Amino acid sequence: MNMLGRILLVEDDPKDVELTLTALEEYNLANEVVVATDGEQALDYLYYRGRYAQRDRENPAVLLLDLKLPKVDGFEILKQIKSDENLQLIPVVVLTSSREEKDMVASYKLGVNAYVVKPVDFHEFVNAIKELGAFWAVINEPPPGSIRKR
Amino acid sequence: MNQSGIDANEFAAPQSSGLPLKYLQRYGLAVLSVGVAVSVSLLVEHFHLRPAAGQFLLLAVAINAWYGERGPALLSVILAILGMDYFFIPPLHDFRVAPEDLPYFTTFISLAVLVCWFSTVRRRVEADLRQTRDKLKVEVEERSSLLDLTNDSISVRNMDFILTYWNRGAEEFYGWSRKEAVGKGSEELLRTIYPKPVEEIRAELLEKNQWEGELTRTKADGTQVVVSSRWSLRRDQQHRPVAILETSNDITGRKRWEEEIQGLNQELTKRSLALEASNKELEAFAYSISHDLRAPLRHMSGFAELLRKNAAASLNEKSQRYLTIILEAASRMGNLIDDLLAFSRISRAEAQKSIVDLGQVVQDVVAEVRQDAKERNIIWKIDPLPACYGDRSMLRLAFINLISNAVKFTRPRPQAEIEIGCTDQDRGDPVLFVRDNGVGFDMKYVNKLFGVFQRLHPQEAFEGTGIGLATVQRIVHRHGGRIWAKSTVDGGATFHFSLPKITKELSDR
Repeated sequence: MNMLGRILLVEDDPKDVELTLTALEEYNLANEVVVATDGEQALDYLYYRGRYAQRDRENPAVLLLDLKLPKVDGFEILKQIKSDENLQLIPVVVLTSSREEKDMVASYKLGVNAYVVKPVDFHEFVNAIKELGAFWAVINEPPPGSIRKR
Repeated sequence: MNQSGIDANEFAAPQSSGLPLKYLQRYGLAVLSVGVAVSVSLLVEHFHLRPAAGQFLLLAVAINAWYGERGPALLSVILAILGMDYFFIPPLHDFRVAPEDLPYFTTFISLAVLVCWFSTVRRRVEADLRQTRDKLKVEVEERSSLLDLTNDSISVRNMDFILTYWNRGAEEFYGWSRKEAVGKGSEELLRTIYPKPVEEIRAELLEKNQWEGELTRTKADGTQVVVSSRWSLRRDQQHRPVAILETSNDITGRKRWEEEIQGLNQELTKRSLALEASNKELEAFAYSISHDLRAPLRHMSGFAELLRKNAAASLNEKSQRYLTIILEAASRMGNLIDDLLAFSRISRAEAQKSIVDLGQVVQDVVAEVRQDAKERNIIWKIDPLPACYGDRSMLRLAFINLISNAVKFTRPRPQAEIEIGCTDQDRGDPVLFVRDNGVGFDMKYVNKLFGVFQRLHPQEAFEGTGIGLATVQRIVHRHGGRIWAKSTVDGGATFHFSLPKITKELSDR
């Protein structure tokens, strides 16, 4: 039916990765998820560096971004993406534990497309991830040049 | 100068005393002196010495003119002329004058009149001078006594810094009397400490004719004082600098205050820096809670849920219940963290104050709360509310907490009544209240009511984190208001809080 966009999940906590993938699985979205466990990996993926040097020359349909990351933090990644002509069209969703206003303000100032606080309650968490995946990877029409799979 | 002043007074004394005896003495002196002159001249002639009648008589006239007044002087002139004519100009013992003696006699008369005239003029000039001088003296005294009226210290020194004038203010302040100070060098007397080299001050004074600054000096009793000093340069007619007039007043007290204030300010800065640091720490702490504490909870909740799902078939009822408890506990802890963060944000966040229409705020909050309590039977009574000056979102949060509390604690009532209103009693500041007919609380626990995590009801009966009222109190305090509550067990509760009224300046903004 719908084309499925590739999701780049940038998350350092393996438990959060597992929960997120579990939630996405419920909606059959997990296959198209690439996980980067720190900021450097995420940038490697986006710039076709290191182990991602040979990957398809296409951008992900959406980037789910944690803010607190080892090496390069979420804000830095966001800043780089939004100031790079080739990457700035990628929708970026901040997916974080932080409900702090300053984090929200900083993210929106850097041009984030959505800001989602990870709910503590698992049902809510699953719902949030499902809706996010469904919206950004399925419903939303991504900018040209994104990876899509029929 | 003073010396001659004393003489003048002695001269003036007989002049001013108009006793007849004095007149008699003076005229007597005139007659006597002429008589003596005539007698001496006759004696001189008798002994065939060189005749000197003219000189003796002129001497008598001069003495009278010098010491006596115009009257006795004139008398002595007339007597001398007559005596000369009668005794010494032929024909003798006759008042006639022979034609060949006429030039000599005329010359004598002229000399006598001249001597008398000069003396009189001299006396008049002297009297005038004396009068002028006395007048000047009075004037100077008046002026310097004017300078003595002020409490400022006024001194004059010459260009060698030798003091030439020292007013009463200076005497009293520095403790040196006029006598001790005048004639002394100002530097050794006052041991002045200048804010910059005195040569520079001198240069500035010569250039601008004045200088102002703060000096540290030592008084006669050895105490150090700080004075605010103003110098003006006096120049003579040739424009040469001749004297320095200095006015100074004591600022030791002010200086001490200034230093004290400076010290306090430094202390304040130090403390506010410390406060800032601890605020930053608190913020970092809250941030870390927000980020790091929530993640393990999410994992607990998430994996417990997954466990339930995957092992549902193999778990007995008891195990299922344990899982439920774990999930509920995680969820409750999540709420606690959220509430605690919101509570700490109230203190950390800067209040964005503006004029807030409380009626509007309450209306919005009630609409929101009603949405969550659709199935409840609640009678709302909302009085007109004033506007106030405060942070809209904080005030909204306060009303949300109070009103949802009212809804929560009236749950056992078949018909709940909630009233929101305003009285005007706390020193003119509006006092708002939220009243309900709920379960209330025992007033002996009222002091626990606003504490963090303080709950007066069991969790099973009324859910909650125990942070709501603490948050409300903090919001009210941040607005400079007070909050208090009244209740009886099962008799409902009323929460009052005051907010600053809108003053005229605020409403003009």
